[in-house]
Amino acid sequence: MTDVRRGAGARRLRAAALGVAFALVVVACGSGRNDSTSTATTAPGGSTTPGSTTVIDASQCDPSTLTQGVTGDTIKIGTSLPLSGTYSAFNAILKGESSYFSYINSLGGVTVAGKKYKIQLVSKDDAYDAAKTSSNVDTLINSDKVFGLFNTVGTKNNLGVRETVNSDCVPDLLIASGAVQWGNMKYPFMLGSELVPYPDEMQVFVDYLKQNKPNAKIALLYANDDFGQSYRETLKDLVTNTSLSIVKEASYNAEGSEVKAQVTSLAASKADTFVLGGTLLACPNALTAAHDAGWRPVIYMSGTCVSKLLFTLGGDGADGVLSVTPLMDPGDPANASNAAVTLYKAQVKKYAPDADTADGIVAYGWSTGALLQKILEASPKLDRVSVMEAARTLKDVSGTGLQLSGSKWNTNKDDWFIGETFQLVKYNKAAGHTEKVGALTNLDGKTASLSPKSLLNS
Amino acid sequence: MALFLTQLMNGIGSGAVYASIALALVLVFRTTGILNFAQGEMALYSTYLVWFFTQRSVPVWIAILLAMIISFIGGAAIERILIRPVEQASPLVLVIVTIGMFLAINSIAQVQFGNDIKILPRAYPNKTWLPGGVQISSDTLVLVGVLLAECLILYLLLNRTRIGLAFRAVASNPESSRLVGVPVGRMLMLGWAMAAAIGALAGALVIAPVGLQGASMQEILVYSFAAAALGGFDSPLGAVVAGLIVGVAGTLTTQYLHAVHDIELVVPFGLILLVLLVRPSGLFGSRRVERV
Repeated sequence: MTDVRRGAGARRLRAAALGVAFALVVVACGSGRNDSTSTATTAPGGSTTPGSTTVIDASQCDPSTLTQGVTGDTIKIGTSLPLSGTYSAFNAILKGESSYFSYINSLGGVTVAGKKYKIQLVSKDDAYDAAKTSSNVDTLINSDKVFGLFNTVGTKNNLGVRETVNSDCVPDLLIASGAVQWGNMKYPFMLGSELVPYPDEMQVFVDYLKQNKPNAKIALLYANDDFGQSYRETLKDLVTNTSLSIVKEASYNAEGSEVKAQVTSLAASKADTFVLGGTLLACPNALTAAHDAGWRPVIYMSGTCVSKLLFTLGGDGADGVLSVTPLMDPGDPANASNAAVTLYKAQVKKYAPDADTADGIVAYGWSTGALLQKILEASPKLDRVSVMEAARTLKDVSGTGLQLSGSKWNTNKDDWFIGETFQLVKYNKAAGHTEKVGALTNLDGKTASLSPKSLLNS
Repeated sequence: MALFLTQLMNGIGSGAVYASIALALVLVFRTTGILNFAQGEMALYSTYLVWFFTQRSVPVWIAILLAMIISFIGGAAIERILIRPVEQASPLVLVIVTIGMFLAINSIAQVQFGNDIKILPRAYPNKTWLPGGVQISSDTLVLVGVLLAECLILYLLLNRTRIGLAFRAVASNPESSRLVGVPVGRMLMLGWAMAAAIGALAGALVIAPVGLQGASMQEILVYSFAAAALGGFDSPLGAVVAGLIVGVAGTLTTQYLHAVHDIELVVPFGLILLVLLVRPSGLFGSRRVERV
């Protein structure tokens, strides 16, 4: 029934876009190439974007594709993540997010501009291989005709598609990576999820050390890919001009999870602090290897490894390990009576019975699904530019999935990071869950300044 | 020095696994002349079986034994059903068949058992000793012990029994063996069966400490192939020695060669390249002589 109207709308859009393009050329010629964000305030005309567009420059977008993926009362969303291979354990994310969408669809769906839409998630396996992610994303955009991408896993995987999503104006929303490259202002169609940005992780741990171990000698293990490099570069940056020092570094092959020789080498350095910039099985393997070596440093482990399964695999080596999380620990009995946790557990049990509801990775998928709903519902219209604009102007978002109480998520035109409010936690092996260390950390708006510029703009 | 010895032990520990899988590769190669790219995935599937049994409260060692028996039968069946029909085909066809098996077994395992990380119970306690600062773990000891036992049993079987004699006859000359009444087909099945059982044991032991998932055997298979190439594809002794060399080269690279510590594969593979340039048949392989 909307075909005719949409056709007319598209024509109007095209005309508006042409006009704006012309105006931009004039402006660009007159004032040089700076501040293109403010010139875009009138981008594709009042009919497609809210009047107050301040972040997204939509002038290069093809207006006819802005509502791709919306048919009738369904929004089709795509995701690419490892469902096979070394990183297949991240399939737990899919279980969490699919459960959330099934749950919200059973209530009628998400409400955008007064209308209810069901969410249809198309998932593709990339085995954490950036080349496969890239071809998956091409298929999702061009064959499956999705509206946007959601929670696609991996730093290098998303870096590999950023030219595509930005030139095609496809929202690459809630990227499952805390890399700071999502803050690169040249790529407005990308936004990281609520995962704690890696520099924020390093900042809170460096602060912890300054208070508790001011002369810490740090040994660092990192994955030899973009993900691991994020930890390495930000940590190096943050310890300069402090009494902390990095005494030894080792990297491991990110295609595998064999880290024993590396940890033996780090343990021999007599460092009293161990930073583990790896993910999935490399985390428990490194913890076990450190423990076996009789090495008992203060250990900080990547927030991507906060998972009951990985802690369990780490055995005795996991006891007392520090990390961060933007979410409540679903495995902590203290949270059992929390309404958000009971809802999460009941729905995941219903829609993904084989998922372990106590696992932080499932909880992450669930919560990110909830965040997508909030973004869509904050958008005044259902088109790619408006939704991206809404994602970029989140205001005091709270109570999203298992979001920590007291935490507020914000984005604005200068702050492109969501998960900047989080909790430092310590794993208690005897209890089988994490415990809070200190109060909530709030680094809202600070991530870009904490990040090495070379990384932020790379 | 203690650090060097610890890294040496680490290397021997991983090397023992490469050696076990390389041994399986050699058994298959010697009997059927096939490079079995699916050897690692067969071991993976067997390890999933171990997990499956332990989930049903079967004690670990018995679960491993059951998985080895099933793998033994399964290995023979694979030879009979999948390999025999293409036995006389070109090597290229055989490579494609085993690569197809690699993909198929991996997918079947993940569909059947799911793609989550499984926690496999340990068959023995995890202990570490630090005599003189050298770290020796029960993992390393068990893996080396199992490797030695495999070698001993294989040696006795091949050199001290009638079946072993027939087996060696087939490996050396199938045509003549058939003429003197050796059941060649059965011997080929035996080669695959033993290889599958050895793989099952190695897989279950090496995966237990680190968690079981679809990609668990892939890195190991690469190193095992390297070991088999280095040792000579037709030499069991070569597979064992070369497996240990590859393992130790890997850990020592990580420790001492900072220039290439990102790419620890470089040293073992450089070593292999060098050996193969000088001795194309591998360290212990027998040279193929053809009369023209």
